[in-house]
Amino acid sequence: MSPVLIARELTRHYRVSRGLFRPAATVQALNGLSFELQAGQTLAVVGESGCGKSTLARALTLIEEPTAGSLQIAGQDVAGTNNYRQLRRDVQMVFQNPYASLNPRRRIGDQLAEPLAINTDLSAAECRARVLAMLERVGLRAEHYARYPHTFSGGQRQRIAIARAMILRPKVLVADEPTSALDVSVQAQVLNLFLELQQQFGTAYVFISHNLAVVRHVADRLLVMYLGRPMELGPAERIYRKPLHPYTQALLAATPSLHPEPGRQRVRLAGEPPNPLEPPAGCVFHPRCPYATERCRGEVPALREVDGREVACHYAERFV
Amino acid sequence: MSLLEIDNLSVRYGPADAPPVVDGLDLRLETGEVLAIVGESGSGKSQAMLALLGLVDPPGRVAAERLHFAGHDLLALGERRRRRLLGKELAMVFQDPLAALDPSYRVGFQLAEVLRQHLGLRGAAARRRALDLLEQVEIPAAASRLDAYPHQLSGGMAQRVAIALAIAAEPRLLIADEPTTALDVTIQAQILELLLNLQRERGMALLLISHDLAVVAECARRVCVMYAGQAVEVGALPGLFDTPAHPYTEALLAALPEAGTARRPLRGLPGSVPGRHDRPAGCLLSPRCAYVQDDCRARRPPLDAKRQSQARCFHPRNQETP
Amino acid sequence: MTTPAPLAAEPAWPSPLREFCRAFARNRGALAALLLLALLVVCALLAPWLAPFDPAAQHRGFLLAPPAWLEGGQARFLLGTDELGRDLLSRLIHGARLSLLIGLASVALSLAPGVLLGLCAGFFPRLLGPAIMRLMDVMLALPALLLAVAVVAVLGPGLLNTVLAIAIVSLPSYVRLTRAAVLGEIHRDYVTAARLAGAGRLRLMFVAVLPNCLAPLIVQATLGFSAAILDAAALGFLGLGVQPPTPEWGSMLASARDYIERAWWVVTLPGLAILGSVLAVNLLGDGLHDALDPKLKNPD
Repeated sequence: MSPVLIARELTRHYRVSRGLFRPAATVQALNGLSFELQAGQTLAVVGESGCGKSTLARALTLIEEPTAGSLQIAGQDVAGTNNYRQLRRDVQMVFQNPYASLNPRRRIGDQLAEPLAINTDLSAAECRARVLAMLERVGLRAEHYARYPHTFSGGQRQRIAIARAMILRPKVLVADEPTSALDVSVQAQVLNLFLELQQQFGTAYVFISHNLAVVRHVADRLLVMYLGRPMELGPAERIYRKPLHPYTQALLAATPSLHPEPGRQRVRLAGEPPNPLEPPAGCVFHPRCPYATERCRGEVPALREVDGREVACHYAERFV
Repeated sequence: MSLLEIDNLSVRYGPADAPPVVDGLDLRLETGEVLAIVGESGSGKSQAMLALLGLVDPPGRVAAERLHFAGHDLLALGERRRRRLLGKELAMVFQDPLAALDPSYRVGFQLAEVLRQHLGLRGAAARRRALDLLEQVEIPAAASRLDAYPHQLSGGMAQRVAIALAIAAEPRLLIADEPTTALDVTIQAQILELLLNLQRERGMALLLISHDLAVVAECARRVCVMYAGQAVEVGALPGLFDTPAHPYTEALLAALPEAGTARRPLRGLPGSVPGRHDRPAGCLLSPRCAYVQDDCRARRPPLDAKRQSQARCFHPRNQETP
Repeated sequence: MTTPAPLAAEPAWPSPLREFCRAFARNRGALAALLLLALLVVCALLAPWLAPFDPAAQHRGFLLAPPAWLEGGQARFLLGTDELGRDLLSRLIHGARLSLLIGLASVALSLAPGVLLGLCAGFFPRLLGPAIMRLMDVMLALPALLLAVAVVAVLGPGLLNTVLAIAIVSLPSYVRLTRAAVLGEIHRDYVTAARLAGAGRLRLMFVAVLPNCLAPLIVQATLGFSAAILDAAALGFLGLGVQPPTPEWGSMLASARDYIERAWWVVTLPGLAILGSVLAVNLLGDGLHDALDPKLKNPD
């Protein structure tokens, strides 16, 4: 089975002007990201602010063209071409803020019908029928068709957003922090919906989140990012059980647990993420890494295979 | 005598018979204790804090049988004395640090303001103390940060400054309303540890409001779980999370991804929190509760003592002695 | 299934229009303004039947007759007559028709191109946008009335040219407002979602973004309406706008300047008419702003 999504060396740089008298700086928001995704699989992307997850989301949906690298969706090269029509059918997105992702001035039925109207030849009646079927599929009712977004709760709005994204049966769905703004019990409902739809339609998910507990629940594969670069990439459960990259270890250690062991030593990561305009030389994580050596300060570690996943660390073997 | 004593606190908006957003809340907090209030949206946890601080404006009405803080009866105090008391002895840290800091003034200036108002410090003494405070909240290069504007700080730094502002007047109680929700997980860990250290060193009581049960499990000794304006379970950790008595607490814990098996459906709670117009006659959870019985639908259960916690339920869970 | 249980009793959800009407109706000043404007509209529409006399008809025997309630007045000329013996009431009623026409026409003529230019400026921020905005900056740098006078001086006086001049002068504010609103909305998630659904630029502009920019535009349009009435009156006062004997309120003021001591009603009554209509439109605009704004700023 060939992968439904292949990203190779995906790169996205921004020029940032720094005023009249200084040369423009380059922010390397994404640097050399490569991964594959199979149909029906979920790749979770974790990282903190500034790691490039949102840039990745925009690059995968081609809202922004990558500066370099290639992107293949269902076997078709999409980066650099203008073949947006097909792409829109194949890649869709669900956003973080359920209160901003629906047009406040349009009925939700119309918003759900819009992708069909633009991309298919279905008649108005057929569009409406599909929309009603989709509404029911996500747990809403026919009478919700004619209502406006502000009459719905956050959880319901997120369901509508999911319905809108799935109505074209895309091959890849990019979910950018879809449950971060939701209450615990609502989050559970929405996560269940994601899993059901994946089982029914075989959609591949790129699930971006900072909540490691949610990620552990949904992910088949895990990508840990830091300052635009991949730190660790591989099967999710394997990484959770034995993280090899110091940053992954720090993330997992920092995540609060429902049943904390008393007297547990918390490996506290010091410092803050660096300024993306001035990335550190060598390994980008070295200023905060408790194990950094001279080699880490000078040499950029390549992403290499260690113990069944890929790690970008010179000393990954030490933790195996 | 407890540091904070709240009996039967109610907050309503609109006419006197409007459904309350906070319904008969009882709370006790001792000096130096860490208590967490947990709830989802619509639970009333933030409204309860606003009522405590006297920040509920008309058409909101606050009513309570007892609202005592540090020995003072907050209901009997005049507006001015209440403000002075609360400004010094009680401080609050909010979710969005950049909203709590005035964007037009430097950090040092804002700290000096608080120091002048509550401790009477001025000039060089105030500056020294401000520097000291920034170092206590572990801001690196504190001297240069005194002259920074809030927007020049990262989220984590800004929250540290907000905490510094809060502890500057040496309060006896610090209320932290979702202090780390907007922060990255590694920064969250740092801030939580900072709050707990400060609390220990200064003997300050900490009232932590959060929707994140894991954060609460790591930080608090006692928890009050709120649902639709009522306290439904109050008790000590870890017992409360290990063997919850109230079905809502149990459902909340079961809905967490940590509780589920990977890739299998989570056990959520069906339905949604009752709004103002569809509150049931009996237990507020009865339309959604998996264990509901007839008496649950008929009467509102009181909050009373169960095996290891107080719970508002006629048929509490986990009551057998393990 | 993850179907959430239906709510016990779902409240009826009024359409946004009904919610807006309800919010608007709470503002008493706005309601009063609406009534006054309704009165004006009635006057404007039914002028030939409402007015007791032909506004241009001169009654030689009754020059500067005072209003009916003053000494020397008569019921025939309810509000008195002007220096040429023309019935003031009839002239005011016909003047309402002109003022409303000028207001509506100049707003329409500046709103439509203004919104289009603003949309383009927002959607093409690299070249077209700055070009449009610099042009608007130039126009805004000139005092409005002076610009209107210049336009009329070039085109010649008269009703149509007055409307044109006022429209040109009001254009920049609509462009700026639209562009600001567009820039505010264009980065929001729902616009990105529409792009992801495959929406082209035109659909993004008119279906996704424009309906969400309407609130400030509606308010500005009502204010523009009242400004147009004032501008037309000013132009008329200067003798550049509508020419006599057309009963435009501003030119009525101008021609009655000399009689302010002898016959105050010839100056005051048209002035009051201008004041009343402008006040009514401004109150209406305030009411619209309050009714539209909270819902759109805080949709939940």
